[in-house]
Amino acid sequence: MTDDNPPEGFIRIDFDRGRPDPTFNTHIGPLYAKRGEKGTRDEFVMGVRVRPYMCNPAGGMHGGMMMSVADLVGTMGAGTLAGLRKFLPTVSMTFDFVAPAKIGDWVEGRAEIVRQTRSLLFSTIYLTVGEEKILRASSIAKIPSGDGPAFGKARLAREEAGATAQPSR
Amino acid sequence: MSRVNAKVPEGFREIADASGFAAANGPWFEKVEGRRVWRGFLPGPQHANALGIVHGGMLAAFLDAALGSVVWRAIDRRCVTMRLTLDYLTPARVGDWIEATGELIGHDEHMAHVRGRLYGPRHDVLGGLGDFALLSTRRQLPVRS
Repeated sequence: MTDDNPPEGFIRIDFDRGRPDPTFNTHIGPLYAKRGEKGTRDEFVMGVRVRPYMCNPAGGMHGGMMMSVADLVGTMGAGTLAGLRKFLPTVSMTFDFVAPAKIGDWVEGRAEIVRQTRSLLFSTIYLTVGEEKILRASSIAKIPSGDGPAFGKARLAREEAGATAQPSR
Repeated sequence: MSRVNAKVPEGFREIADASGFAAANGPWFEKVEGRRVWRGFLPGPQHANALGIVHGGMLAAFLDAALGSVVWRAIDRRCVTMRLTLDYLTPARVGDWIEATGELIGHDEHMAHVRGRLYGPRHDVLGGLGDFALLSTRRQLPVRS
């Protein structure tokens, strides 16, 4: 876990609190997140270090891996930006694979909210390596009425990162 | 493995040369008839999201690979994905056999356009439209994706 060597501020996301089996997000990860100042580009950033089991036969980050991370940035990330604390199912996504990423690269994902309606959340997502964009995605997520499906397990594993206790939101 | 294979429909064989992401999230299966291809897999707990249904990223990865295979079988050309558009229609359940197929809707020397869908035993799960860049016929890939 430590050999992922995430940049300053990134904390591993614990998707499986109290679950017997690791879910997909844990299985393909570990995935990290960083929270920044509200209203800034870094308000929510997802991060992942590219490992061999995330790759295609050509040795680059697998498109499926990019899409999985982008999907999460479009729901968890955009949902966080919108101040929504519930599970947002994905309705539709479009992905443009603009550049590859290779083993060892640190990939970051950010969402920008395009529009939020009562029931839908439109966002644009970029995955980047340094300053270079590797994936552009357009996402439509559903905002369920009420509390939506039971959710709320995922959180940042702060104690693992040695961070001092602080409110999660 | 035998429990898994009992649910695999006739005609499908495991894609044996998977590596990396495909191997870590497999096994994936394939059936080929002439120039048509079907792909399938059996989602387990490792493919599920927090709701216990199959993760959208997994479905996306699987359909993407299946559409690439559609191109390969249709025109004997390897390809890489340029753009993929997906509509999430209904959830896919862990334990159900999930299958994908598609058709080439057009191509030239450099690009191929494919329409496909992913479906479970009850209904369509995911609809997809893919634009693929065709690799040079001289270029050799180490293994299939």
